[in-house]
Amino acid sequence: MEKNRKPIIAIVSLTCCEGCQVAILDLGERFLNVVQQVTIGDFAFLEDKPELPNYDVVFVEGAPISKENIIRLKNLRERSKFLVALGACASLGGIAEIKNYQDKEERMRYVYKNVESINNPDIKPISHYVKVDFEIPGCPVNSEEFLRVSESLIAGILPKIPQRPVCYDCQLKQNKCLLQEGQPCLGPIILGGCEAPCPSSFYPCDGCRGPLKDVNPDNLNKQLVKQGYQQEEIDFIAQRFGIEDEIYPEPPAKI
Amino acid sequence: MHIKIDHIAKIEGHAGFTADIVNGQVKKARVDIQEGARLLEGILRDRSIFEVSQISARICGVCPVVHNLTSLKALEKALNIEVSERTILLRKLMMMGQIINSHALHLFFFSLSDFFGGEDDLDLIKKYPKRASDALSLRGFGNKLIEVIGGRSIHPLTPTVGGFLKMPDKKKLGEIFEKCGEAEKSAQNLASLFLGLKYPQFVRAASYVSLNHLKEYAFYGDLVKISGEEKESPAEFLRIVQEYQLQNSVAKHSYYQGKPFMVGALARINNNAKQLNPEAKKRLKSAKINWPSFNPFYNILAQAIELIHCVEEAKKLLHQILLKDLSKNDLAEKETIIGARVKSIKNSVSGAAAIEAPRGTLYYFYEIGEHGKIKNCNIITPTAQNMARLERDLEEYLPMIIGKKATKKQIEEKIKMLIRAYDPCITCATH
Repeated sequence: MEKNRKPIIAIVSLTCCEGCQVAILDLGERFLNVVQQVTIGDFAFLEDKPELPNYDVVFVEGAPISKENIIRLKNLRERSKFLVALGACASLGGIAEIKNYQDKEERMRYVYKNVESINNPDIKPISHYVKVDFEIPGCPVNSEEFLRVSESLIAGILPKIPQRPVCYDCQLKQNKCLLQEGQPCLGPIILGGCEAPCPSSFYPCDGCRGPLKDVNPDNLNKQLVKQGYQQEEIDFIAQRFGIEDEIYPEPPAKI
Repeated sequence: MHIKIDHIAKIEGHAGFTADIVNGQVKKARVDIQEGARLLEGILRDRSIFEVSQISARICGVCPVVHNLTSLKALEKALNIEVSERTILLRKLMMMGQIINSHALHLFFFSLSDFFGGEDDLDLIKKYPKRASDALSLRGFGNKLIEVIGGRSIHPLTPTVGGFLKMPDKKKLGEIFEKCGEAEKSAQNLASLFLGLKYPQFVRAASYVSLNHLKEYAFYGDLVKISGEEKESPAEFLRIVQEYQLQNSVAKHSYYQGKPFMVGALARINNNAKQLNPEAKKRLKSAKINWPSFNPFYNILAQAIELIHCVEEAKKLLHQILLKDLSKNDLAEKETIIGARVKSIKNSVSGAAAIEAPRGTLYYFYEIGEHGKIKNCNIITPTAQNMARLERDLEEYLPMIIGKKATKKQIEEKIKMLIRAYDPCITCATH
C-alpha cells in the first residue's frame, strides 16, 4: 500500500439477511472510529455514492445465489487486494445451503409458480468461485472479532483465528456442559472464538462458525448416537449452516 | 422518458427501479428485486418444529426477533400451547427492542439524508453529531433489551416453543430500566428533528392494514384491522390475501380483495393512534397533521412517534417484569405437554400467527405433520405486502415530479426518497 493514502475498504453483500453488516454497525462509535481511518469504497448501509474502482479490502457477506451475485463476486475479486468472507453464508453457504440436502427443484416449485427465470444453483461458499484471503466466521459474526481482524487486514496483515473448539470459550465462561447433559452440542468440533453465546443461552452449538481444521467428526457423531439421537437428527443440525459437506467431503461410511 | 436506477442504497437488501413515461403518462413503474431466491418456505419443510424458528430468524438481520417470535407463535397456535403471562411480557419487551433499533437505523441512517439531498451519512453525522449519538444510543438500548432476554441481539437464542430456554438476569433488566429516561430523551430529540422536517406533499387513497388490540397499541397481537373498522383473524386474513409472483421476480406482491394496501408505522398510527402512550400521543398531536394521513412520506414521521411510544412501553413492561419471579423457568413442565401434543398428531395440525414487525404486519402459517415435522409453510412479510402499494404510489407520484425543470438526478432522488420512506426490506420481501 502506498504511503500517505488511507486504505480503501468496501462492505458488500450478496444474498443473505445482512445481519453481519448490522453486527458491524452495532459497534456504534467504535465502528465509526475505524471508518475515520479509511476511505469507504462502497457500503450501501451508510452511503449512496458511486462505488470506487479498487479496494484494499473488500468484505463480502452472503451467499452467491443469483447469476448476478456470482458475476459481482468475481468482479469484486478482480478489483480488490484482500477479499474477506464475512459470516457463515459467505464462508460456509449458510442456511440457504439447506436445499442442497433436499430436492432443490421441488423446493423451488413449492415457492414459485414461474420458475424459469430464477437461478437455483447448489449453494457453495464464495471460495468455490474466487480466491478468499480470509474468512470471518459466524452467524452473525462476532463484532469484537470483526474489529480485531479488520484492523489487522486494513494494516495489510493477514490475521489468525486460533484453532480452538467452542468448548474452549464455553469453559472460560464456566458454562455447564450441554453435551454432558445429553444435548446435541457440536461445540467440540466447531471453531471457537465466538465467546460461546449459544451454550451460554442453553442453546447447543449448531456449528455456524464451521468445523475446526482437519477435525474428525466421527467420535462426536458416535457419542450423539449413543445418547439416543437418530442419525437424521444429527445430520439436520450439521446441514443448518451448510457444514455437513465440509465435515464429510466424501459421503460418510455408515457408523 | 426512461428512468433506470441500478441500485438503491440505504435500504435493507438489493433493489433497483425502472419506469417508462410516455407523454407524461407513466407506463410502467417497477421496483426491481436483485436478490437470489433462498426458498425459506421450501427449506423449512420436513424439518423439526424445534429448529425452524431459528432458521427463519435468518430471513432478516435487521428484524430477526419478529421472525423468530412470529414463527414460534404460529407453531404454538398449531399445537394449542399456551405460554405464560411472563413469557408474553418478555416477548413483548424483546419486540420493543426490535422496533426501537430498527426505527433508529431507518430514521437516522437511511431516510434522513433524503431531506438534504445528501448521499453520505458520514456528512450527516458531522452535521448532527448529537442526533447521531441519540440514534446510536437508542440502537444500543434496543439491542440490550434483546440481548439480555434473547442471549444475543441478532438472531436471538433463548426463545423456543412454549417459552424461553433461559430466563433473563433480573439485575441486568434492572440496569436497562435505569436507562429508560435517557432513552426517552433520545427518542424525543429524534422526534423533534423529524417533526421539524419538510415532507413532500403527496396524498393518495390507500387502505391501511395493521394489527389491532382492544387494550393496547398492537404489536404482539391480536386481530388484523383493515382501514376503518373491518377486522379479521390472522388465519382468515391469510386466506383472503392474494400473493402474486410477477414474471422474472423473486419477490411476490400482495392484494387484499383485489387492492394493494400499506402496512407499517403509518398504518399502525392511522388505525390505532388513540392507544399510543401519553408522550407519543402528545408529540403526534403537535405535528398538526390530520390523522389518518394518506401521505406515505409520513411513514417516516410515524416511526419517529413510535420510537417514543416504544421506549415508554419498554419502561412499563420492564416495571411489570421486574415485579415477577424470574428465578424459575416454566419450560420443563411445558416440554411434556409439547411432547404429548406432537405425539398425538394424527395427520396434521395447522396454525397461523401475526406480529407487527418494524415495517408492518408479519404472518406465519405452519402445517405440522407427524413427529413434529413441518409439512407446509407460508410466510408473508411486510415488504411483500407493501410492494404493490409502493409501485402504485410511484406511478401516481412520478407525474408530479417530472417536468417542472427537474433534472434527472432530482427526479431519481425523489423516487429513492419515496421508496426509502416505506423502509423496504428486500431480503424479507424475497426470503
